[in-house]
Amino acid sequence: MTRILVIATAIVFWCSPLAAQVPWAPGFMEARGLLFPQKTPNDNTQAVGDFLWRQEGIFKPASWLQFVAGADFRANTHDQVEDVWRIDWEDRGPRPPRISVRRLAATITAGRLTLDLGKQFIRWARADVLNPIDRFAPRDYTNVIDAEFLPVIGGRATLQLGPETLEVVWLPQLTPSRMPLLTQRWSVLPPEATGLSIVDLGSDFSTRAQTGARWRHTGGRFETGLSFVDGFNHHPEIETRVLDSAGTAISLTRTYPRIRSYGAEFAIPTRWITFKAEGAYFVSREHTFDEYGLYVAEIERQVGEWLLTLGYAGEVVTSEEIPLAFDPERSLARSFIARMAYAVDPRRTVAVEAVGRQNGDGYYLKGEYSQAIGELWRLTLKPVVIMGEEDDFLGQFDRNSHFIAALRLSF
Amino acid sequence: MAGPAILTPVRAADDAQPIVDEAQRRMTTGSERYAGLLQSFNADGKTSEKRWIFERLGSHGESKTIIHFTEPAEVAGVALLIVNHAERASDQWMWTPALQRDRRIALQDRSTRFFGTDFSFEDLEERVAAQYEHTLLDEETIDGGAAWKIQAIAKRTRSSQYTKQILWIQKSDYTTVRIDSYVKDEIVRRLQSSKVRVIQGIPTAHEMVMTDLLRGSRTRLALDKVQYNLSLNASDFTVQALRN
Repeated sequence: MTRILVIATAIVFWCSPLAAQVPWAPGFMEARGLLFPQKTPNDNTQAVGDFLWRQEGIFKPASWLQFVAGADFRANTHDQVEDVWRIDWEDRGPRPPRISVRRLAATITAGRLTLDLGKQFIRWARADVLNPIDRFAPRDYTNVIDAEFLPVIGGRATLQLGPETLEVVWLPQLTPSRMPLLTQRWSVLPPEATGLSIVDLGSDFSTRAQTGARWRHTGGRFETGLSFVDGFNHHPEIETRVLDSAGTAISLTRTYPRIRSYGAEFAIPTRWITFKAEGAYFVSREHTFDEYGLYVAEIERQVGEWLLTLGYAGEVVTSEEIPLAFDPERSLARSFIARMAYAVDPRRTVAVEAVGRQNGDGYYLKGEYSQAIGELWRLTLKPVVIMGEEDDFLGQFDRNSHFIAALRLSF
Repeated sequence: MAGPAILTPVRAADDAQPIVDEAQRRMTTGSERYAGLLQSFNADGKTSEKRWIFERLGSHGESKTIIHFTEPAEVAGVALLIVNHAERASDQWMWTPALQRDRRIALQDRSTRFFGTDFSFEDLEERVAAQYEHTLLDEETIDGGAAWKIQAIAKRTRSSQYTKQILWIQKSDYTTVRIDSYVKDEIVRRLQSSKVRVIQGIPTAHEMVMTDLLRGSRTRLALDKVQYNLSLNASDFTVQALRN
């Protein structure tokens, strides 16, 4: 530890003071209230309070070196935050940690090469709502419709050669997407599970690393890219086991199948619209895993202060094993997507997002009104309507329509 | 009678181009950096403030610009990369830290107001004289100084939201002190530059006020710590570098 401190101090003093920038610590505190008009069979709570304090620190001691650190502190009235006072580094637990390291990374630039080392976000996505090529971007599905991205731990090397970018990612371990809590409304259990005692045995993680590579062309007329990932599906499959002879108790274990994905993306801006698409094909040697392709195609149009997006998310299954899994990405495929945003004035924005299944069995409609109050505060109101059939991924949440009011203090 | 009517604008165009070229030559620098303060005032007089660091590498038609927002906290970290081209409209990408991803600003987006200010994305592009047909309309006194009044119409290769722009260029130092931007025959935006100070030999307006005449709102951009011809790294002007 002493040696690390000495090296870190040496780096800081070695850096040219001319290129140094003053450390900067942006952050915010946000209080949210969620109201659910309906109860669900496994959750009677209709009002939930949530608090998040996010604090980041950015220090650039030299033009070639930058450090970023960030932490989240969370509290929740409905047991949706881990009730343990510790600093979480891995983000692998079933509940969001009370205190977690959100980012802790160094960025080193040497000419055309950039290295990002540590806990960071890696986003490859180009489309909205559904992102098949975003293989290193797990999400927290504690609220399925309002899922936040999670950081990952590892290294990323980026080589910039004019309009071409080559990116190589290595993650020593998997950061999984967080499933909804089993005892709460976003876990809709089948009727046959009524009365069953469910024992959550947690997750079974492989010790293998994940790797990925992406080539991206950023040209004036179009953008395109190809990517390859050898890693794990960050969405879990669920292994169940009957624990007693009467069949009244089962255990549940989350597993993460090893997969390879082959991705492609492009965007073509034209005078009238921008056409965006991304897709990936997933294969696995594990017998429980389907082989399939996911794709999203969207058109985007800006009209004055209006931004309109229309698209379709599709799926092609080439080998079907029908595993028991929680995979919102696949489950949202075969859907039409629409998004509309309007900047009312410098302080107010309105947005509406809609996803509807092509068979009409489920949809959600999410509105958002956001208004700045003074220089530091922002109020955001979000009504969410979910409807559909019980056997549809979206439709099963038709008792989870809700309203969110959030007040944020930025500093 | 038709002859002189046709010939007059041709002569005027011949007169205008050297003026615009000279104005551009005098403003040409290899790089630039300044700290900007943006203050937006709506029709009710309410304001919002944003601060940014502006950096440009290269000059007219071959330049790259990067803007990093620093205040207020909720937009801090947002960055915009503008890659200017000599013969066509620029390419632009925006980095939003909350989403941790970059987004290309499509060609049709450029009439959109930039972050709720009265500047559109197009207004942030570097002005390249060769991308416009210029015509000398008149000579007028503006802000107490003699100025050339010149009409600029974007060439077909440069997609523009504006039908035409009228520029007032000061005779004393070739600074552009006012630009009226038209859609059809209506003035939609007016940019007024003032507080000109000479920095490293370059006459530099330290205050610009963009007025949206349709909305009745205006945005004031105040420049501070202006530097020219400083050493900047090309690797800091890429989509990849936006996130740093």
